[in-house]
Amino acid sequence: MITRQFGSEVRWMLRRPRTLIGLFGLVLVPIIISFGIWTASDEGEGGGGPPGLGAILQGNGMVVPIFTLFLSLNLLLPLVASIWAADGLAGEAQHGTLRGLLVAPVSRVRLLFVKLFGLTAMSLFAVTLMAVVGIISGTAFLGNDGMMTLSGTTLSTAEGLVRIGLFILLVTFQMVAIGAVALAVSSATEHPLVVQAATMTTIIVFQVLGQFTSLDWLHPFLITTGFPGLIDVMRDPIPWEQIGDSTLLAGCYLLIGTGLAAIRLVTKDS
Amino acid sequence: MNKRKVTLAAAAAGVITGVAGLSLAAMPAGAGQPPSLPDVSAESLVQQVLTSKPGAFGGTVEVDNKLGLPSLAEIPQLADGKHSARIWTDGNGKFRAALPNGQSEQTIVNDGKTTWSWNSADNEVTKAEHKADQPKPDEQKAQSVDPAAAAKQVVGLTKEFSDITVDGTARVANRAAYELVLTPKASEKTLIREVRIAVDAELKMPLRVAVLTNGASEPAGTVGFKEINVGAQDPKLFEFTPPAQAKVTTPEAKEEKGRDRRPELGVEQALQGKDPQIFGTGWDTVVGARIPAEAMTQVPAEAQGLVDKFTKKVSGNWGSGQVFTTKVATILIADDGRVVAGAVPEQVLFDTIGQVK
Amino acid sequence: MTTSTSAPVTAPSKTAVAARTKGLRKEYGSTVAVDRVDLELPEGAVLGMLGPNGSGKTTTIRMLLGLVRPTQGEIELLGRPLPEGAEQALPHVGALVEGPGFHPFLSGRENLVRCAAFEPLLPRKEIKQAVEDAIERVGLAQAAHRRYRGYSLGMKQRLGLAAALLVPRKLVVLDEPTNGLDPAGTREIRKIIGDLHAAGSTVLVSSHLLSEVEATCTHVAVLHRGTVVAQGELTELLQAGGSALQVITPDVETALSALRQAKISARPLGDGLRVELAGTSAPQVIETLVQGGARVFEATRWKTGLEELFARLTEAEEAERGMSAVDTLDGGRR
Ligand SMILES: Nc1ncnc2c1ncn2[C@@H]1O[C@H](COP(=O)(O)OP(=O)(O)OP(=O)(O)O)[C@@H](O)[C@H]1O
Ligand SMILES: [Mg+2]
Repeated sequence: MITRQFGSEVRWMLRRPRTLIGLFGLVLVPIIISFGIWTASDEGEGGGGPPGLGAILQGNGMVVPIFTLFLSLNLLLPLVASIWAADGLAGEAQHGTLRGLLVAPVSRVRLLFVKLFGLTAMSLFAVTLMAVVGIISGTAFLGNDGMMTLSGTTLSTAEGLVRIGLFILLVTFQMVAIGAVALAVSSATEHPLVVQAATMTTIIVFQVLGQFTSLDWLHPFLITTGFPGLIDVMRDPIPWEQIGDSTLLAGCYLLIGTGLAAIRLVTKDS
Repeated sequence: MNKRKVTLAAAAAGVITGVAGLSLAAMPAGAGQPPSLPDVSAESLVQQVLTSKPGAFGGTVEVDNKLGLPSLAEIPQLADGKHSARIWTDGNGKFRAALPNGQSEQTIVNDGKTTWSWNSADNEVTKAEHKADQPKPDEQKAQSVDPAAAAKQVVGLTKEFSDITVDGTARVANRAAYELVLTPKASEKTLIREVRIAVDAELKMPLRVAVLTNGASEPAGTVGFKEINVGAQDPKLFEFTPPAQAKVTTPEAKEEKGRDRRPELGVEQALQGKDPQIFGTGWDTVVGARIPAEAMTQVPAEAQGLVDKFTKKVSGNWGSGQVFTTKVATILIADDGRVVAGAVPEQVLFDTIGQVK
Repeated sequence: MTTSTSAPVTAPSKTAVAARTKGLRKEYGSTVAVDRVDLELPEGAVLGMLGPNGSGKTTTIRMLLGLVRPTQGEIELLGRPLPEGAEQALPHVGALVEGPGFHPFLSGRENLVRCAAFEPLLPRKEIKQAVEDAIERVGLAQAAHRRYRGYSLGMKQRLGLAAALLVPRKLVVLDEPTNGLDPAGTREIRKIIGDLHAAGSTVLVSSHLLSEVEATCTHVAVLHRGTVVAQGELTELLQAGGSALQVITPDVETALSALRQAKISARPLGDGLRVELAGTSAPQVIETLVQGGARVFEATRWKTGLEELFARLTEAEEAERGMSAVDTLDGGRR
């Protein structure tokens, strides 16, 4: 029964025009990045790309998926997660379909898990899609002799793919954590736009707060603090500490979001 | 109990766990119970530290710095705040250091014959083949974040001018350690109150160095292992092949370019230069030098602004100049190019600057 | 098709009920939407729920379906207490609550398939057939492939009904099912309700169309300002509402005096008189008349219309508000 509901949920999400447009937009990102770096290479030495990871993109196509996801994690992926979370509960309430599900009946806790599953599956799908397109476009535009890490070592293509896979999982988890919090908001309103606005505002405000060194006592509480540390996947050997911290941080958000959403759903009148 | 209540309780427990997790993560890791170790005399511990020969190890070092230094692009690890670095050594001179800087990384590898220095920010490798006894600047930089090497140096230089005690034990990087405390003798005119060195009980290798200054209870600077694994390291770590896309240069070429780009580093270079003049001994040693006049006038406007921001104008019977103060050190730059610096109050510098040739 | 006899019985002493509420109360902040509602829905009955706008019909239905938690009171649905027993009871309940709710970007058929995926009683293999059957039943076959976005009001309503009828149900709850339907659609609904009734399902239908209720329901509950002001079998209610006898006679004066002697109240009306049947019965009246010497050409039972009953039950206070019950009803037809 639950697999049938999971399947229905994912099919429903994939059928939504907005989802398709969003996925299309996401796929453009790695292509644009590869193309941008490729054109920059014509400008000769130092014509370079963006700082950080961008500096080693030249001739290093396997890094494109990681760079793309890393960049997108700041705004684009949270936006997509928030849209899915918004449509999941607030959107269904708005269309009156939530009632239909509840009298079917789907227990409210079950409903939340169906929604979380849909969010997770679609996040994983979107992130993987971006990564695959990134590998292809990166290889096409920038070439591929294995993956050069931030530490200056060069990994074989197979090792590189493992790193990309790991990064996909890490980024998906962050996305799901954000989505879970967005689901909590989503369970409390009938307006999907409110959910998106609230989630994105929070993410942006968190990032701004992260800039103030005077607020460093606050930083460990902000999920956005964990984002930059994920780049450690590109160091060799991988230092696991920050990656672990970021994932734990996201895990806390996931628990809080899911818990609040469950409380709200169970007590909600619809 | 009814199902709804169970659900609500479980959900609330989830939320509480999440919040607790966040708070735990935000809390600085507690030092934990200090281990109990057999007593050891200060003298023998010092002796053991100086003679210990650390074997192979790899670990993560955390530099917690409240010195009040302006951040230098060259050594981001020394700017204020917490920074971490990873170091590996095979115990026989080969080593690797990874110094992350935001999203980029500087990697320094000594493979026994060559010191490679890679910076991902500019996709550039500096290759220094080892020649007989030449200073290797990047290597020094890498070692400055190695608590073991730093501590050994401090102990070596100051033990005669200090009261040395063993002040209990500590747990550093999950290893038991003695706290060796060097307190400058009363006659020393220094800013430093004490230096605490956590010495591994088993390996006698310093694991952490903390510098405490007069009038502050928190250390002004700490360099210590956050995590360490002792034993043979993967030999691949001590090899380096420049990536295909990277530009490879020599340190000489790099230095040329660096000098053009950053004239404001003149002071640092002068003090580290060929013939610094040393005045005094022990904790209140003062280093002096003279910056060539043209370097003084070369300072560009914006760099001058930076200098003015961090310094204070002073004058005395020695002349006039600017004094730059941090918690652990003071630098006096006279307008005529004389420079003196030391871990001393500024008065000591005023008294010493006259001796600079 | 499930029959009423297979329903779980919890109160053996009474006649089996499909749903029962006791002292139901719901507050929304300071608004009391529903108060002291004791509703009884006998098995196999078609209960029409009547009431002016805002009288609490939808709120009561929502509580019956476990969508809304009552502030006070108890609900029993198909023998299970709510909300604890919702998961056991609700699979047997089909509902159309407060207008149909579907996804605009899916076709009618896809919407039903999504609903069907969440129906516990529907095996995966039968989903397709069940959806087609439901579409056929509500007469949507022509439009099933079109996006819900483009549906007319009536088509939406039919799709909502189809979703309620995906699985054979013990209880079907329809909140204003005829809202927006054309006369043919209204007839179809009437037929569907009739079929459900014939098949032994219990039906709860709320409506503003009194003629609808009168035509299809066996039982009626009238809500007013959140409370049940009358409920019971339709025929009983109408009778209790005070029935009269319309007598056609040329001898009005004779008849009146004969009745006055027998202490039966009557008044002249048209070419005859109207005799109140309170405390007496039709044969008795006719006997009195004949014995009194009045010629009786025709005697018809004067039934209280539902409309009259409804107006009487709800109008007194409506008048205070400056609107008649009928006005309210018309206003309620969006
Ligand atoms: N979610 C809610 N929040 C606040 N008040 C509500 C809510 N739902 C219903 N009410 C109030 O409860 C009362 C009963 O509403 P309900 O929808 O049950 O009436 P109804 O009988 O279905 O009316 P209608 O014939 O217009 O459908 C109304 O006064 C309404 O304003
Ligand atoms: Mg209503």
